[in-house]
Amino acid sequence: MSDASATNKRAQREAAGPYGKIGQTLNELDDRLGIAKGGRTFMDKIFPDHWSFMLGEIALYSFVILLVTGVFLTLYFVPSVATVIYHGPYKPMDGQRVTEAWDSTMNISFTVRGGLLMRQMHHWACDIFVGAIVVHMARVFFTGAFRKPRELNWTIGLTLLILAIGNGFLGYSLPDDLVSGTGIRIAYSIMESIPFVGSYLAFWVFGGNFPGTATIPRFFILHVLILPLVILGLVGGHLFLLVRQKHTQFPGKGRTEKNVVGSPMFPVFIAKTTGFLFIVGGITALLGAFAQINPIWQFGPYDAARISYAVQPDWYMGFLDGALRIWPSWSFMGFGHTIPLEVFIPAVILPGIIFNVAYLWPLLERKFTKDNEIHHLLDRPSDRPKRTAFGVAVLVFLAMLHIASSTDVIANFFHLSLESTLWGMRILVIVTPIIAYPLAYKICKEMQSYRGGGKRKTPNIVSRTAEGEYVATPTPAYGEDVGHELDATPVPTYIEVEPDEPVESGVRTVDR
Amino acid sequence: MNSSLFRRVPLIVASGAFVAAPLLLFAGSANASNNILQTTRKNAGTPNSTIVVKNKSGTVIKYGNKYITYKAPSSKLDTLGQALFMENCASCHGSEADGVPANGTNGAYPDLVGLGPATITFWIDSGRMPAKNVAAIQARRGQPALTSTQAVAIAAWVNSLLPGYPDIPTPHLKNANVADGAALFALNCASCHTIEGDGDALAASTFSPSLRNIPAFQVVEAIRTGPGNMPRFTGNLSDQQVADITKYVTTEIQHPNNPGGFGLGGLGPVAEGFVGLLVGLGLLMLVCYWIGDRS
Repeated sequence: MSDASATNKRAQREAAGPYGKIGQTLNELDDRLGIAKGGRTFMDKIFPDHWSFMLGEIALYSFVILLVTGVFLTLYFVPSVATVIYHGPYKPMDGQRVTEAWDSTMNISFTVRGGLLMRQMHHWACDIFVGAIVVHMARVFFTGAFRKPRELNWTIGLTLLILAIGNGFLGYSLPDDLVSGTGIRIAYSIMESIPFVGSYLAFWVFGGNFPGTATIPRFFILHVLILPLVILGLVGGHLFLLVRQKHTQFPGKGRTEKNVVGSPMFPVFIAKTTGFLFIVGGITALLGAFAQINPIWQFGPYDAARISYAVQPDWYMGFLDGALRIWPSWSFMGFGHTIPLEVFIPAVILPGIIFNVAYLWPLLERKFTKDNEIHHLLDRPSDRPKRTAFGVAVLVFLAMLHIASSTDVIANFFHLSLESTLWGMRILVIVTPIIAYPLAYKICKEMQSYRGGGKRKTPNIVSRTAEGEYVATPTPAYGEDVGHELDATPVPTYIEVEPDEPVESGVRTVDR
Repeated sequence: MNSSLFRRVPLIVASGAFVAAPLLLFAGSANASNNILQTTRKNAGTPNSTIVVKNKSGTVIKYGNKYITYKAPSSKLDTLGQALFMENCASCHGSEADGVPANGTNGAYPDLVGLGPATITFWIDSGRMPAKNVAAIQARRGQPALTSTQAVAIAAWVNSLLPGYPDIPTPHLKNANVADGAALFALNCASCHTIEGDGDALAASTFSPSLRNIPAFQVVEAIRTGPGNMPRFTGNLSDQQVADITKYVTTEIQHPNNPGGFGLGGLGPVAEGFVGLLVGLGLLMLVCYWIGDRS
């Protein structure tokens, strides 16, 4: 009896093939959809192991968190500026005339179970999302990962940054609280400041004069549907190109322009990256649980007649706010209109220049270096001192603009006068990049000459020749110090057969 | 302190002070019409009185309503107040308390005559006067150098030179509505003190002070007397509205409701950006550094 059932089971197993029912299902799918080829490519995708390659994943996973928490919030948020009387559990606002948008956000914060945690996680994940994009972009820039053939992915990434900033601003505006309403007011004025089309554009976007009733519903649909879809599509394109073009890698032992060395997606990297997803989620959840963000109950509802002093935007809009604050008030009357250059230049022209230079950078660099080669090996930042110094100068410039968005907080905290802080920031914004460029350039040059730093010094043998001349001859490096990954590989005296097995466990080398 | 309002104070008092009692009674009866904007500039600090207490000689010593009562300092303290004034205040404000006009190097020291007792006690009780740094553009709140009784005594003597309003207020916050206070705070106060009451830097080295650690009666004094750059809110805020604001300041501003965790100092997006980037992104980058290769 038992013998017969064992035979049966064995027969079943053999009939099922080596991968069992899962394998069968996948086979069926492959027959119809042809997933095996793509699946194999995906599972064999090689990820070179370097910590800086994980920065983009922070952005990807915080975007996942944004989607999940955002869907939750959408279930409770009412995108309407219809007036209601607030009668919620937060007593200091009881009886106030508020919009449904503000009322429902208060409802999420105080009544919905887990709502405040979700709201705060959503907001923190947004702050981290944009920050991670910036840090990831800095890595790509300083290591030259944007060079041919990856210019298109650089462009997509930059578009993602702009969309993330825009969507962050829209989301920040949705609760219709006092602080975010001030931000919308500024956005409206920035649109109006564009010559000729400004007022038409602002009326078109806002559906009439500020504040209007169309703002929140339109922002809502942009924030939860249109922009997330565009971002999702571009993220897909970004990752597709990443798989298609294969990863870049830092130069090192066994790594060439023709191969890519690292862990395959399955089974090594998928474990690592899934763990990282949970870590990103965990840290965001901790922040959401313990650090309060955007307490709209302390701000109250937006009302065009009310304003709070010391209002700053979220950090990623800080550079724009800072530029607006420190730009001199230059406006003139002409052609029967006021031309508000004090808004138009810092809030439209300046970001336009910054982002356009960023878009064009791969082209510009090719033009200057006349380097049209395909690059898969990354630069060390110190090997490209001019590019690094330029990047540092731009980042310092943006950081200074960002600091300038809190001139009032700085002045109050350090007991300075607001005017001197303003002038100080005006000077710093111009002076610090000019200092940063040569400083970064010099540091790069120093680091180049310090290659091999950290190795033990070897003695020099000083000998006196018959003519009385002293000659210092350096002794060779210590045995274990030779073969540093950046040193030239010594020319082999015999043809070495490459071992089939990778040197480290889990590391695989594939041709491009 | 040299605003045109204060120069007009003697006029206001001349037209109003000697008919104070009938005026108060009139204002009290007008309160029944339920118009909360009864107070005018002329009767600043004496609005809508339903409570009027007189001493034996018939002088009004306490007046007000169920939201705020104002108490005149006792004339018995005049002598003590004069001595204290000469010791602590006269070197700048002059022995007649009429101030010193600006000259080439020094700014003006304000004329205190007729400003009303609440102005005097506010500046002394908040530790701003006697000034620790005379050259400072705006005095900072600090430990008071005189006791509150001494402050009242000085106010009594200055008031005896030329009586003025407002008198020293006592808010009765159990009758106030914190929700109305929140709305009024956003409308009247947040544009300088910020919506979270932290205060901030203003133009020309002045600043709006933080409201985090101020007793209720001083909130009322500040609103009614308008110290420094602050407007003097008289005709446009009734006693009920002032009490509402005071309740909001002393409850929600000073003890904010932070159900979301640490309040991050109420600095808003500045602090949030720091935490998001340094703590959030910083930790995640450390994790990258930990699980990634570092060659």
